[in-house]
Amino acid sequence: MAADPTRRTVLAATAALPLLAAGCKGVGALAAPPQPAPDVALLRDVIAAEELMIARYQAAIRLAPGTGASAGSAGTAAGSAGAAAGDGTGLAVVLRSLLSQHQAHLARLSARLIVPVGSRYPPALSHRRTPAPRLPSVPHQLAAHLAAAERAASGRLARQLLAAPPSLAQLLASISASEATHVPVLRTAGRIG
Amino acid sequence: MSGSAAVSGTASDAVSALQLALTAEQAAAYGYGVIGAHLSGAQQAAATADWIAHQVSRDELEKLLSARGAVPAAAAVAYRLPVSVQTAAQARTLAVLLEDRVTAAYLGLVALSDRALRKLGAEQIRKSALRAASWRDATVAFPGLTASAK
Repeated sequence: MAADPTRRTVLAATAALPLLAAGCKGVGALAAPPQPAPDVALLRDVIAAEELMIARYQAAIRLAPGTGASAGSAGTAAGSAGAAAGDGTGLAVVLRSLLSQHQAHLARLSARLIVPVGSRYPPALSHRRTPAPRLPSVPHQLAAHLAAAERAASGRLARQLLAAPPSLAQLLASISASEATHVPVLRTAGRIG
Repeated sequence: MSGSAAVSGTASDAVSALQLALTAEQAAAYGYGVIGAHLSGAQQAAATADWIAHQVSRDELEKLLSARGAVPAAAAVAYRLPVSVQTAAQARTLAVLLEDRVTAAYLGLVALSDRALRKLGAEQIRKSALRAASWRDATVAFPGLTASAK
């Protein structure tokens, strides 16, 4: 029984600590600094990789034969390499349609990025300028370079999703698969030029 | 997110997700039998290769279920196909539909906390997306996920 008053005292003192702190430091002390969700760092990493891929495609389209022809199909379906060869507009058409899919990836990833105002993380990536990547100018080398980048990005996502929360893991698996499907399209397009 | 199946980490969630994937693989294995019958040459060879791939995946899922003490869902004798197949073009359309369903089913494995099953799911999604892209002659931005969730 002798321990009870002591324990009560400690509990009461502990309970009063936040109030004391608030009294000393004002209302701001009651609000802990906002913490981003645990998957924010992973998501930001994935978004940065997607932004880099988009920068690669934008630079590649400026180099590719067929640039200046009509735009490739927008939306989710990429025109096939065969279709590009058929209409004679070259590699650029294929690259534009694949770019549109990367832009869709980025939009969906960015929509998931919720960072509280005032957190230690900078709020947006879109203001940061991604430096223009150096790319080979020969069409088949350009396509091979992008194919290698797509393969690497797909593999990286497949590893990253293992540590992601379930719904983000599903999105990363889908994007990883989409980027894997870009590889054979680029190889075929590179042969056509 | 739409398109997702089981989202948890219990043993029963794993069994449910594996059973869903198994059902999709069984339907695909059946469907490719129909698909191959309407194709010729290189496309028939591709259909045969994909048919075998689905049979191997089906067997793997059955083993995973048995290892967890679950009874693998029995395959149906016949399946109602989502499209009527009379032509080569319709056969290719069916292949795309079957692969899309397989992709969506494996998303359930990716949502599990079991790393090995998550890895298997992601690998199978990649393979089915590649097969679907080949039959579709185009790629999509979000294999296995519904368009409305873009």
